[in-house]
Amino acid sequence: MKYSEIKEILINSLNNDCDTTDYSRRLEDAGVSYDFRDGFSDKVLGKLFPPGSIINHEVDFLKTMNYVFYRVTLPGVAAIVLLLISFYLMEGSLTFNSFLGLSDNYDESIVCLLTGNL
Amino acid sequence: MIKESYSLTDENELVKAALDGDQKAFGDIVNHYRKMVARTVKGMLGDSVFAEDVGQDVFIKLYHSLSEFRGEARLSTYIQKIAVNLTLNEIKRRKRFFSLFLQKGNNEMYEFEIAEQDTEERKDTSEIVNKALMMMDSKFRIILTMRMLQGYSTRETAEMLNLPLGTVLSRLSRAQTQLKDILEKHLK
Repeated sequence: MKYSEIKEILINSLNNDCDTTDYSRRLEDAGVSYDFRDGFSDKVLGKLFPPGSIINHEVDFLKTMNYVFYRVTLPGVAAIVLLLISFYLMEGSLTFNSFLGLSDNYDESIVCLLTGNL
Repeated sequence: MIKESYSLTDENELVKAALDGDQKAFGDIVNHYRKMVARTVKGMLGDSVFAEDVGQDVFIKLYHSLSEFRGEARLSTYIQKIAVNLTLNEIKRRKRFFSLFLQKGNNEMYEFEIAEQDTEERKDTSEIVNKALMMMDSKFRIILTMRMLQGYSTRETAEMLNLPLGTVLSRLSRAQTQLKDILEKHLK
């Protein structure tokens, strides 16, 4: 492209009512094109999604699960132990019947005290 | 499930896929719009490492703000605005950097940049355009970049730069005067 032609495009592209699309197309046809260097997309994606990120996500997930496990399991086990102790104190044994409340060891003392039938 | 190919006409589908963690979808967006971003960034900053970094930052910022994209405007407009903002920020940063050096009396870097441009003898179309752009004031350079390289109308330029239409019209006239001067005195 001749210098005079380039000059005309550059100056006229700043006219308010000009067809800027035509000027940009003519310049592109004349070899005025812009692009980033090779590997640009890979660099962007590499910064956004580092190779170790999937593994890190998995490790984070396992850590979270481990934390949840301890938070749920320990109080659960403690509750079960307390329940067993209370059964034992109330029923005097830990047989299957005592869990169902069918043991023979039925203490009426509280009922007697409340009703006055000593 | 990751799709093998996308229709670039459906930007919202691409954005949704990218938001769902589909890396290929975002890769498609980068590849489709990289030249558009390069025109803005390299038109304003020249073909430098800084421009490459700003270009990467544009897409990184786009990825992190994709959830805010509501699809009311074209994705290209959204990306272009990010590119303009980050490029103008980089120009401000460089101005601050150079002003610090100049205050201390160390203006070698600034002189080197100008000298490097002047040592080139070949004046093909691309070089003339780039030299003209680099010699303009940044507030006029962005106007020329938007119109000459991106093909935006005056109204679109005003919208893109978030400036009143009257300001853009005024800058068009002043930019034209400065450009004529540069082409006559420095690049003939």
